Amino acid sequence: MKSEHCIRCTICVENCPVFRVNPDYPGPKQAGPDAQRFRSSREKSVDEWVLLCSQCKRCEMACPSGVNPAEMILRAQQKYSLEHPRKAAHLLFANNYYISRLGSLTAPLANSFAATKIGKRIFQRMGISTKIPFPKFSFKTLREQKRAHGGKNRKVALFCGCFINFYRPDIGKKIIQILQSFRMDVVLPPQVCCGLPALGNGNLALAKSFAAKNVSSLSNYIDAGYDIVYSCTSCGLCLLHDYSGVMGIPGAKKLAENCYDLHEYLLKMITEQEMKPEFKEVKQSLAYHIPCHLRALKIGYPAASLMKLIPGLTTRILDDACCGLSGSYGFKKTNETTAQQLGERAVSLIRQTNAEAIVADCGSCRMQLGGLSGMETLDPVEILWKSLQIQNRK
Amino acid sequence: MSVIEYDVIVIGAGVAGLTAGAFLAGKGLKVALVTSGEPTACLSTGCIDVCAQAKNPLQGIENLPDEHPYHFVPPPMIHQALSDFQQIMTNRMLPYTGLLQENSLVLSAIGAFKTTCLLPVTMQASPKSDDEKIHIVTFAGLKDFYPGYIISRLKKSSFSTYDAGVSTTMGIAANFEKESFLEAFLLWMEKLGIREDKIAVPAVLGLESAPVILQKIENRLERPVFEIPTIPPSMPGRRLFNALKDHFRHQGGDIYWNWPVSGVEKTGRLIEAVITESPGAPNSINARAFLLASGSFVGGGLLALRRTIVEKIFDLPVFVPGQRETWFNQDYFSADHGIGRAGIAVDSSFRPADCRWDNIFVCGAILAHTEALKNGCGHGFAMATGQAAALSCLEYLQ
Repeated sequence: MKSEHCIRCTICVENCPVFRVNPDYPGPKQAGPDAQRFRSSREKSVDEWVLLCSQCKRCEMACPSGVNPAEMILRAQQKYSLEHPRKAAHLLFANNYYISRLGSLTAPLANSFAATKIGKRIFQRMGISTKIPFPKFSFKTLREQKRAHGGKNRKVALFCGCFINFYRPDIGKKIIQILQSFRMDVVLPPQVCCGLPALGNGNLALAKSFAAKNVSSLSNYIDAGYDIVYSCTSCGLCLLHDYSGVMGIPGAKKLAENCYDLHEYLLKMITEQEMKPEFKEVKQSLAYHIPCHLRALKIGYPAASLMKLIPGLTTRILDDACCGLSGSYGFKKTNETTAQQLGERAVSLIRQTNAEAIVADCGSCRMQLGGLSGMETLDPVEILWKSLQIQNRK
Repeated sequence: MSVIEYDVIVIGAGVAGLTAGAFLAGKGLKVALVTSGEPTACLSTGCIDVCAQAKNPLQGIENLPDEHPYHFVPPPMIHQALSDFQQIMTNRMLPYTGLLQENSLVLSAIGAFKTTCLLPVTMQASPKSDDEKIHIVTFAGLKDFYPGYIISRLKKSSFSTYDAGVSTTMGIAANFEKESFLEAFLLWMEKLGIREDKIAVPAVLGLESAPVILQKIENRLERPVFEIPTIPPSMPGRRLFNALKDHFRHQGGDIYWNWPVSGVEKTGRLIEAVITESPGAPNSINARAFLLASGSFVGGGLLALRRTIVEKIFDLPVFVPGQRETWFNQDYFSADHGIGRAGIAVDSSFRPADCRWDNIFVCGAILAHTEALKNGCGHGFAMATGQAAALSCLEYLQ
């Protein structure tokens, strides 16, 4: 933690989406390095406003002095949450994984209940915003649908993430089909939630237990010669950054060294001539909303590099605006206005491009931007799948 | 060829790096820009200082000492770089005005006048003397701007305070992007019955649409309106950065954020790749040439140690201005500190002098003998050397 490296230049403050719209939040400079000097492990936390940080990490991306305000705030959030009673919304979202498992088992019922008036009222009473529709549970999760697949070339263990597993298994299927079409062996190893929702809702212990399970399961696959590939950028950031950082999970370094973003991996395979894709024309103009956590991964924008290879496709990169939802952050009543204002600004920048659809790697960004704009939202995987003209095999 | 192999990697996202990168990308090269954070350009006033210590910037450049890197840029190229810049900013709806033959004055937030060459159109109506009558509009709770400083010097001016609901530069600027906020502000302004000749506001008129917002205020109040650059967070600096960044991308360049270079790969006389530390698999990017625009001390390109000064990326030889005792002047506010001469000395092709590598080009504030503060060599210098180094790099690659 390098709070003393801060020169108070305020570049982080300029980049903080929450600070721009919520006067109650003092911004990353004050909440991070400034307040850090007054925080003591022996004293109880009093700064409830640390919970207003959405952990988008934009402050860390912008800091020219190598200071990590988001991490200081994350640690302060964990300490605060440990010392104060948790709210219903925090408990619910921290346990998102278990709730999603339940939701998928009872998908038709759970989905229609969430959409009813009484359902919405219950959510509101729990401090949960119902401004944008909840994602719909899928009755069959990806993990139920797919088992191991035989291939010849590289071996891939896919960390699909809760969003794809419970809500959009169709995207997961497309990922598997793309990898298989290049004769790769794809498996879905035993896995649980990455732990980020638990971390974001102040439950470090739960996050750590998720992380430990994942590390032990994925390590076995690494030992067996598999590359770990994730497609959710927030899961990825958690696996790579938080497992070894805030959570301090043994074995996290090995996982990080063998773990790739899906598009980063595809680019790597093309470079290593493991695959020679023939991209067919896709006539579409897209606004590519860059998820904050993709920026934070330090890998550039690999899906943008891939989409550049598709004839007929025009993509405008937009990376200045956070969508505001930040996973469960924007679903909390206290953050509802913040999330909405930020989302509206992101949407207005998208509209200026006159794009036909929005593309984003992150399911939660798509939920927010699609919900606020009414525009079609796509995962880059869907574009690649279309361009590669992969048949939907059963 | 691999899909992620670049022709050129630019290190640094300041004005020099973005200018050079966009120039090369515009020539059809594959360009990546890596940066460890946002540049000091974001903290600037957004004004383009070419050679602010002279009345006539071009004359001023001619009179600079022989070793000054400006002398490696042919005067027509300085013209070209600045007119290219003006064109870019016009296309990005943030036009700049000013003449290369004559510096202009801009009223600063402490009521003093700053000399500069090109200025954002939102500062065009800035007064030229203490005698002008201006009405300053400030915002309740905005702690980065005190009209009292200005009124103590411009005695014929007065001020009013508007409650914008928020009290931060970014918050107010974001509000100005909303029609309803601007309308309420204009109604309030009309009721003030302003008598002064001009209206001044701290530079908070919108995140990106400042010229349009300013025009609307001028039309309604029927007199010139201008922005006064503030201390950071500085909206004009951020608008400049955003516009140059968008232009670079529009030309086809890729940007890698939060990508501090922690190592290099080299063979023979060539640098082959730059590496960054990451919790994951090692990240490296290859290129045929490298353009160093990492800035000076504040920008992070140079690091002063107890006895010497180092260049942080390639460990290039650094020109150090004598013994440490001679690095500084007793007078803190003097622009003439020896340390201003530190940096990378280059030849006329903007390659580092006495360098073991053939494919490195250097531009911007990291150049030796610049003395940015003393000579007023700001963004204009970054653009001129950026374009010159890029041209030299292009010739090398062809």
